[in-house]
Amino acid sequence: MTEFLQSTVYGLLQGGLLALVAVGFSLVWGVMNVVNLAHGTFVVLGSYVAWQLNKSAGVDPFLGMFAAAACLFVAGYAVHMLLINQVIKAPIWMTLLLTFGLELVLINAMVLLFSGDFRSIETGWAADAIALGDVRIPYGRLAGFLVAVGLTLALVAFMSRTRLGLAIKATGMDRDAARLMGIRARRVYATTFAIAAAMAGAAGAIVGTVGTFSPASAPAFTLQSFVIAVLGGLGNMWGALAGGLVLGLVQSWGGQYLSGTLVTAIAFGVLVAVLIVRPAGLLGKPYYEARVEI
Amino acid sequence: MATDPQAGKPASAEGPGGARRLGFLSGRAGWAAAAVALLFFIALPVQLYGSQQRTLAAAFMFVALAQGWNLIGGFAGYPSFGNVVFFGLGGYTTAILMAKAGASFYVALPAAALVGLGFAALMGVPVLRLRGHYFAIATLGVAEGMREVVLNLDGLTGGGSGLTVPAVGIEATTSYPGNAGFYYMFLALAVLATAVVLWVSRSRFGYGLRAINQDEDAAAAMGIDTTRAKIGAFALAGVITSLAGAMYAFQQVTIYPARLFDVQITLLMVVMAVIGGSGTVVGPVLGALGLQFLSEYLRDNLTDYHTFVFGVIIVVAVILLPQGLVRFVREGWRTRRFSLLDNVRAYRL
Repeated sequence: MTEFLQSTVYGLLQGGLLALVAVGFSLVWGVMNVVNLAHGTFVVLGSYVAWQLNKSAGVDPFLGMFAAAACLFVAGYAVHMLLINQVIKAPIWMTLLLTFGLELVLINAMVLLFSGDFRSIETGWAADAIALGDVRIPYGRLAGFLVAVGLTLALVAFMSRTRLGLAIKATGMDRDAARLMGIRARRVYATTFAIAAAMAGAAGAIVGTVGTFSPASAPAFTLQSFVIAVLGGLGNMWGALAGGLVLGLVQSWGGQYLSGTLVTAIAFGVLVAVLIVRPAGLLGKPYYEARVEI
Repeated sequence: MATDPQAGKPASAEGPGGARRLGFLSGRAGWAAAAVALLFFIALPVQLYGSQQRTLAAAFMFVALAQGWNLIGGFAGYPSFGNVVFFGLGGYTTAILMAKAGASFYVALPAAALVGLGFAALMGVPVLRLRGHYFAIATLGVAEGMREVVLNLDGLTGGGSGLTVPAVGIEATTSYPGNAGFYYMFLALAVLATAVVLWVSRSRFGYGLRAINQDEDAAAAMGIDTTRAKIGAFALAGVITSLAGAMYAFQQVTIYPARLFDVQITLLMVVMAVIGGSGTVVGPVLGALGLQFLSEYLRDNLTDYHTFVFGVIIVVAVILLPQGLVRFVREGWRTRRFSLLDNVRAYRL
């Protein structure tokens, strides 16, 4: 029983973090119809920014997180304006290939800059834990979970309560109609991409604190984002949160009770099943389905 | 709906004098060029070192893989991102039959093709109902899931520690063909795959696939059995890709799930087909040979940076040549206008 409770708690904590990893990916896919294969590298880039700040200036990763988000915001804006925007109207596999090339470049650049070693951001407090009965909850994971869920909720509020957020939603629903309403679609797309990269960067700082990372972990984050985005429905922030928690729980329980990496097979099995039965995702709204099917 | 990249350009094939200009390397000139290239590649191995033969064999393998993707992604317009699943299944079918059942390679090879065919048909029925990104992600999910299944069936596949085909000594079921043998084997497969694509591009079936690519609902309304055509294209791709996987498994002797189901293989075949020209016969051949040589050249000369440079080349090629090399040259030949800048302008916002 304790084992089950412990793995459930870990699953939920990890799930909140995965939601923050995936929320930007889902946003970009839902709004821009671009599947960003380089999303995982943005997460790892965020980890490196926070790690470097922690190493050279002793900045706590939960402060470094904001620096990572800011760096990735600027980088994301530039990547969109210089690269993604050039093929935004091309058939979908062009954007997939472009971001695949970008992933190769970024991963290799990180290996050259930081080597391929696994690293972790050291703090004095994150590994200490509170005990609730027999269940251990490390402070770092708890703080990471709270920040991740908080940021995801903040993004939800931003999308539905600010002019920019509404402009992003409107562009996602119908780009041409939005442009006729005076929305500058190119800037909106760039901002969306930048927000997604910033969220990934913030997630990366937390990932680096509660676990280890290396350039090679980037593709795994992209794949997890896939699963979460599809489970939750594209562009649906609440869906990303729910999908993240589900995936976190499944992985944690699977790791406890199944042998080897069979849990990954189950995650992809669930992904394919959801796609076939309910392509709009578990919480997806029909208009996303209608719009994305081009 | 795909936007027309040629919008705003003169679309007429008529030259200034009204006479129709010949297409670039069309008709007899094209056949002659293909025959010369084939003879050249048949005669070449005598002049090469073993390592060069291996490099070329890998390039031919990618020609076959890119042509397989071309059928489903280029002609039917269904961007499969999980074609590597056939590669892995073909490889593991061969290795299991040879290692566990003591079968000859020449029995295992058709068995691998059958497994590829069967799996494509089985997987195609539900997955080909999805469109666009959903199809891409579903196929990716199937491939990644299959890798994990193979990884966890330790008893049959050896799991992460790999499976070794008996290739030498008394246990060998088929004598190992060596570098030159695999060179000709992969060359034959590349020629076969290209011939299949050539046949498809000129058949009623191929025109049906192109119609599905442009507008599936309209194609169905015109009387094309879209489900059958799509599954047919997917199954052909599955057979070609699993044959490549079978030969690769025998060539490598020891195979691992992480290598045979590597998502990079899928991405490479897509890159090669698209940069050469998806939906054309020659495009994937040029794309695969060109990128494979480039990759080898970079590996030899820029050991640390080769992936970096390769990634930059992909990014630049996607932006500058979104319609692929073959269509760019063909269009430029017809209009006497080769402008990369027009390409960039075509798809930007």
